[in-house]
Amino acid sequence: MILEAKGIKKSYGNRFNRTEVLKGIDLEIEKGEFVSIMGASGSGKTTLLNVLSSIDRVSSGHIFIEGEDITAMKDKKLANFRKNDLGFIFQQYNLLDTLTVKENILLPLSIRNMKEDEVEKQFDVVSNELDIHELSEKYPNEISGGQQQRTSAARAFVHQPKIIFADEPTGALDSKSASNLLNKLKQMNTNSRSTIMMVTHDATAASYSSRVIFLKDGLVYSTLRKGDRPQEDFYKEIMSTQSVLGGVGVES
Amino acid sequence: MSLNRIILKNFFRNIRNYGLYIFALVFSVSLYFSFVLMSKDDSAAEELSSSTMMSSGFLIGSILLVVIIVTFVMFANSIFLKRRNTELALFQLIGLNRNKVFRILLQENAIIYFGSLIIGILFGFLLSRILLMVLLRIMQIELSVGLSFSTEAVLQTAGLFIAIFLLLLIQNFIFLKRTKLIDMITLNRTNESDSRRLGFGTVLMGIVGISMVAGGYYLSTLLLDYIEMAVPLVFTVLVVVVIGTYITFKFSIAFVLNVIRKSKKGHVGITDVLSLTSIMFKMKSNSFLLSMISIISALSVGLMSLSYITYYSAGSSVENTMPYDYVFEDAEGLDFYESLLTEEGIEYETIQLPSLEYEADTDGAISADLELMDINGSTLLMMVVSEAYFDSVDVGENETIITGTSDVMQSFVDYGLNEPVTFVSGDYKHSLELVDIQDRAILPSQISFGSPAAIVDEAVYQQLADNQSEEARTAEMTRTYALDIAGEDSMEIFKMMDQEENPYFQSKIEQYTVQMQALGMTMFIIAFVGLSFLLTSGCILYFKQVGESEDERGSYNVLRKLGFSEREIIKGLSIKMAITFGIPLLIGLLHAYFAVNAGWFIFGTEMWTPMLTVMGVYTALYSLFAIMSLLYYKRIVRESLN
Repeated sequence: MILEAKGIKKSYGNRFNRTEVLKGIDLEIEKGEFVSIMGASGSGKTTLLNVLSSIDRVSSGHIFIEGEDITAMKDKKLANFRKNDLGFIFQQYNLLDTLTVKENILLPLSIRNMKEDEVEKQFDVVSNELDIHELSEKYPNEISGGQQQRTSAARAFVHQPKIIFADEPTGALDSKSASNLLNKLKQMNTNSRSTIMMVTHDATAASYSSRVIFLKDGLVYSTLRKGDRPQEDFYKEIMSTQSVLGGVGVES
Repeated sequence: MSLNRIILKNFFRNIRNYGLYIFALVFSVSLYFSFVLMSKDDSAAEELSSSTMMSSGFLIGSILLVVIIVTFVMFANSIFLKRRNTELALFQLIGLNRNKVFRILLQENAIIYFGSLIIGILFGFLLSRILLMVLLRIMQIELSVGLSFSTEAVLQTAGLFIAIFLLLLIQNFIFLKRTKLIDMITLNRTNESDSRRLGFGTVLMGIVGISMVAGGYYLSTLLLDYIEMAVPLVFTVLVVVVIGTYITFKFSIAFVLNVIRKSKKGHVGITDVLSLTSIMFKMKSNSFLLSMISIISALSVGLMSLSYITYYSAGSSVENTMPYDYVFEDAEGLDFYESLLTEEGIEYETIQLPSLEYEADTDGAISADLELMDINGSTLLMMVVSEAYFDSVDVGENETIITGTSDVMQSFVDYGLNEPVTFVSGDYKHSLELVDIQDRAILPSQISFGSPAAIVDEAVYQQLADNQSEEARTAEMTRTYALDIAGEDSMEIFKMMDQEENPYFQSKIEQYTVQMQALGMTMFIIAFVGLSFLLTSGCILYFKQVGESEDERGSYNVLRKLGFSEREIIKGLSIKMAITFGIPLLIGLLHAYFAVNAGWFIFGTEMWTPMLTVMGVYTALYSLFAIMSLLYYKRIVRESLN
């Protein structure tokens, strides 16, 4: 087990006006899994991701990554932990416009002492896998949205983190670039046994993963596992669960 | 590839974005450096030492400057930090801890900061040469401006800016400590809108704000009538107006905008989207900033107007107290200089003018607020001279003209034309009709001591002289011995006459020069500080607009995709600029007008011309920043579709 969350609660606001976004979530993720979190808007899926990925602090509860409780970590240790064990992909790519694709990708490696050729090798592996090797000297504003998101994915993978957190990675992409990216993610998930946790509202995107967790009103509503089924069947089950949940299901 | 290299590269590629910040720094450094350099300039210091206000003036000026600069730089830094949020967040996400991020900021800041310091000092050096020439010109000192460089000034400037650098580090540190990672990632999307309902409270506060300002204005006009309470009154006015301004911006303007917005019932046009709603969206931070800028503008326009009024009136106020080129104490003095001037071959005209000291009843033509003037009884001291000494003056037997009514006096004493003036000496009374009033004095102040002088018919003068009571008969004391140089008087004549062993005399040209130097100095310092105020507040508004334009880039994109033309968008933005720059300027000018109106007569003889000149120049310079912002917007709008 790589990640274990126990009784996660998160609330915002002050003493007089509190909104509880997460109301006690327990979950376990095995190494090498590709997990999607789904739910209607406001169900707390992004908040859950932020909390699990140490971007935000929990109000109560504990999160263990490989047995280490990250909710109790100090800033320095947390930063170290992010450096070594986590990778992020955002809806808005979050690339630095001033750096080339290659430099953006190598950013996480630049803060650790690695040998030049090792860095180069690592870059070749991820950039080839994500099909952006020939773009390496271009700047983010010179490439398409799909390519930018793949760059951002490459940056998340390049230091071989234990878990990759993706917040609506396909949100700003057209369906072709989206399926392209998801295929790559899945491929990297199986090839490098890295764990991926993705928030999405898109049933198609979710059908690429091996497990889908549905949230409703800050609680885990149900969990679907793909098992050995073909992707289409899994997609149908996600759709039907989503329509039971009500809300956003129909649009995709 | 090391992190340092990436940071450096990132920095240099971003340099255009930092342009503003660098500009702010270079600007502040050169401002301060030139100021310090001037105060240390040796060649000028000799000439300037005649004005005793010099050093203290420079000291006060430099303290004010430091305050402005610190505020300005810290403001620029905070904008700078916000613009780099995503970058800083990303650094933390890839595993840099806060200390490391802080160190990155420190390195970058150090490059920018000390780079700007050097450039600023070079610029400041050039600037100070120009400013010094201006200063000497204002003070009417003829001196060629050399190129002296002061290490001390460099050290002083560097010292100050290192101190500010440390302050900025603290600011950065607090920013990093306070802002959580999650907020950094979402900071760009914060809504500053004060989305409070248009409740009773807002309306009430809106009215309170405006009435506080109006009340302050009203109080300021009372200043003249309650001069004995001037200090508490001025203080009250200041507090009421400052708080009132803030409330006005916070509630009244939001309230007015809200009413306009409500009246549209959701049918907002393109201009509304870009002006009204955009301003309201950022009202929370705007209200503080805009009221600050109003008050700063009011302060600098007010001070500059007053000092310019003083400078502008210097000539006429000397004229009022010194009607002749040279005035002597007695007949011997006059004789001495007559022979001296003849020896030198300078033509002149002598004046020997007898005058009487009389009391005038404060009824009829003269109505005086005697309690204020602290004078016992119901009479006003007045000088009387005969018309026979003035070619251009003609008064009838029953008529008189009052002269030398300075503005300060006129605020306490009112004269009614065509009413009787009664001269009193003991039991003797003589009434004449007042036919004219003139500001210009005909007696030097060493004779009149600031009292007005009445011109009467020669026969009447004799009567008055004959009936003057014994104790007032000090004929020798009230005789004016003076001479006018034929043609222009000059400093050479003055210097020739002004020798240590020579008898005492007063000189108009000397008084004028002394005044010009003292006033020129004051005006220069105030103008310098005022312009710094102007430039910094203009820059702050400009920076803010730049920040907002970056935030709104997305909306321009949407609007243009919806089919609005570039010109339509720019039109809406022009209105926004007019509001954000215009309202604080307008309120500032209004504040300044009432401030100047309340007290200008203490400073000089003419209010409108100098005040309007200052306001005109200020408005013109200020508008430059509005235009600059608009141009920036234009570029963003043009690029937004790409």
